[in-house]
Amino acid sequence: MLNSPYLYFTDAVLRAPTIGCMLMCLASALVGVIVFLRKQSLLGESLSHAAYPGVIGGVIVAGLLNLHDENDSLISLLILGGAFVSALIGLIVIFYMQRKLKVSSDSALCFVLSAFFGIGLTLASEVQFSYSSLYRQVQAYLYGQAATMMDIHIAIYGGLSALIIFVIVLFYKEIQSIAFDRQYATSIGIRTHAIDCLIFLLIVLAVIIGIRSVGVVLMSAMLIAPAVAARQYTNKLHLMFLLSALFGTISGFLGNYLSGEITQLWSSDPQHGRLNIPTGPIIVIIASAICLLSLLFAPERGLLIRFIRIIHFRYRCIYENILKSIWRQPKRDITFEEIAKYHTASAWYIRFILYRLIKYGWLKRTEIGYQLTVDGSIWAARIVRLHRLWEVYLVDYLGVGAERVHRSAEEMEHIITPELEKQLTLLLKDPKHDPHDQPIPPR
Amino acid sequence: MTHEQHSKAHHHPTIALQVNQLTVNYDKTPVLWDISLEVPVGKIVGIVGPNGAGKSTFIKAVLGLVPPLSGKVEFFGAPLNEERRRVAYVPQRESVDWDFPINVRDLVLMGRYGSLGLCRWPRKADLMAADHYLDLVGMASFANRQISQLSGGQQQRVFIARALVQEADIYFMDEPFAGIDMATEVAIMHILRQLKERGKTVFVVHHDLNTVESYFDWLIMLNMRLVAAGNVTEVFNADTLNMTYGKSYALFNEAIKLTHQKTQGTRGPI
Repeated sequence: MLNSPYLYFTDAVLRAPTIGCMLMCLASALVGVIVFLRKQSLLGESLSHAAYPGVIGGVIVAGLLNLHDENDSLISLLILGGAFVSALIGLIVIFYMQRKLKVSSDSALCFVLSAFFGIGLTLASEVQFSYSSLYRQVQAYLYGQAATMMDIHIAIYGGLSALIIFVIVLFYKEIQSIAFDRQYATSIGIRTHAIDCLIFLLIVLAVIIGIRSVGVVLMSAMLIAPAVAARQYTNKLHLMFLLSALFGTISGFLGNYLSGEITQLWSSDPQHGRLNIPTGPIIVIIASAICLLSLLFAPERGLLIRFIRIIHFRYRCIYENILKSIWRQPKRDITFEEIAKYHTASAWYIRFILYRLIKYGWLKRTEIGYQLTVDGSIWAARIVRLHRLWEVYLVDYLGVGAERVHRSAEEMEHIITPELEKQLTLLLKDPKHDPHDQPIPPR
Repeated sequence: MTHEQHSKAHHHPTIALQVNQLTVNYDKTPVLWDISLEVPVGKIVGIVGPNGAGKSTFIKAVLGLVPPLSGKVEFFGAPLNEERRRVAYVPQRESVDWDFPINVRDLVLMGRYGSLGLCRWPRKADLMAADHYLDLVGMASFANRQISQLSGGQQQRVFIARALVQEADIYFMDEPFAGIDMATEVAIMHILRQLKERGKTVFVVHHDLNTVESYFDWLIMLNMRLVAAGNVTEVFNADTLNMTYGKSYALFNEAIKLTHQKTQGTRGPI
């Protein structure tokens, strides 16, 4: 039996992780759009790992202050603060390496990622010995642990998310213009360095909010996946922000819902026993699935629609080629066998295309075979015209040998638009013969 | 410069751009050497020179987009910071990602972002201005088009509309005629002449030497150093062309590069 999704917003235990994760996903999805458009996707990955030693640092300070689990909100704040500081240090190291040491961007990013994460892991083993009661906290930030969130987390994450939204709305046009063309933005007097710093601050904020839910290892997926998915549906930046936020929030909710429900389902099945499905990875899987589905099936940019367009273009090529081959026959009355021998497509496919040609009024059946209608011969003549115009252009203007132009023209005759045809006609002064001395049909 | 000329330039700024001993380095390698020149108001100025001569760098240094090693740049007798609103820049078309999620009108609106200032949204008047200049460059019917759907010439027209919407007094255009159709080139040239008639100054990085005399009033010939600058009729001749495009400077450039490598301790060709 599945629980109602509504339960996840009302139940005292489930409420905090669900809303907390949704807020966190919202924040990172919004920041992710900026990161994605600035082509800085790796930065999120590096900074989330760079935050890890700070997490451990926060735990150690908590240990030194002799705090225990009952002071959870204070420990959370210490950890957030530590993560913030160490991510910031990571950022500064990255820039120092790029600017002063002239290390390439990807090397600097990878160096900070592995070096900081290494330091974090080393410190973590120290915590395991010295403050074993707090080691649970350390683990929580490595792979994320949503289930132990409390209402105080909602308040903290809610505040930080609101701050991120506020900054994006306030500096929308600066963020947009810098992401599109940094030098132009500088030239019109936008303070690019100040805005850059602000954006880096946003990334650090999104990362330290996020690592509690999905952990440092998976954090960068939550920045990038919703943004990439959103990009597939829209060419408008504000819609991209909204869609990305929507995808992020949905992932946050479904991650909690599914992990909770699956855990509950399996707990009644002795084979799985008390297996606990972690929330963070499920959130990431959902976000990645949304991203993958969008890449495949988005209406304008999706892989499927592009595949269909390719198929359609191929179909159109054969369609027009058949028309052309009939037009070339001097007697203009042609049998199926005569048509088929010029084309490599299978016989039934050619029959199908002939059927379509007749249906659309380009072709008519005669007793012997087929004949072009008046409309059909006008269209066929236009295709031949485009073919030969293109050949003239290649030979006269690009200096290609006359013997090598046929193949290119064979493709271009299906591609050239009426607008391009007009330009070609003008440029070539409406030639009457192609390089092979064949007549070019008039328009 | 005499005192008289100086005071004239100060009170009635007839000098649009004044550059004094501008030197620019990229990673210790000199790209521009000791450029000094003056350009009067109301000229269409061509900037020519071979590849790697520093034409784009010159524009960028003048606009403060790359930090100069030394030198002073003044617009109408004042530093860039004071006159930034009067200066518009048209970058090279290839310098941006044309798959960015933005439509033509919003791209043109960016021209107003500088004068709008922080935290303020474009107003009705800005939108009207954007549409007006889109119409002027013949792109009105493309206002809602996504920018990835534009041809090269159309991209260039949109970039120019974005600069026009800034209502500036000096325009810097980096290779606006590169890789575009003839109709667009004619249209752009028409716009530049209109700007000139309204007393604006336009700088154009240019490649086609055949059109230099018909397009420009003033010419800056660069090959890392300033070869010549002045009226096209005076400076555009076989001598200056030879000095700009000839090989005689290649040796000097190589020597300068080596000097810097030695003094900075980096290894170059031996």
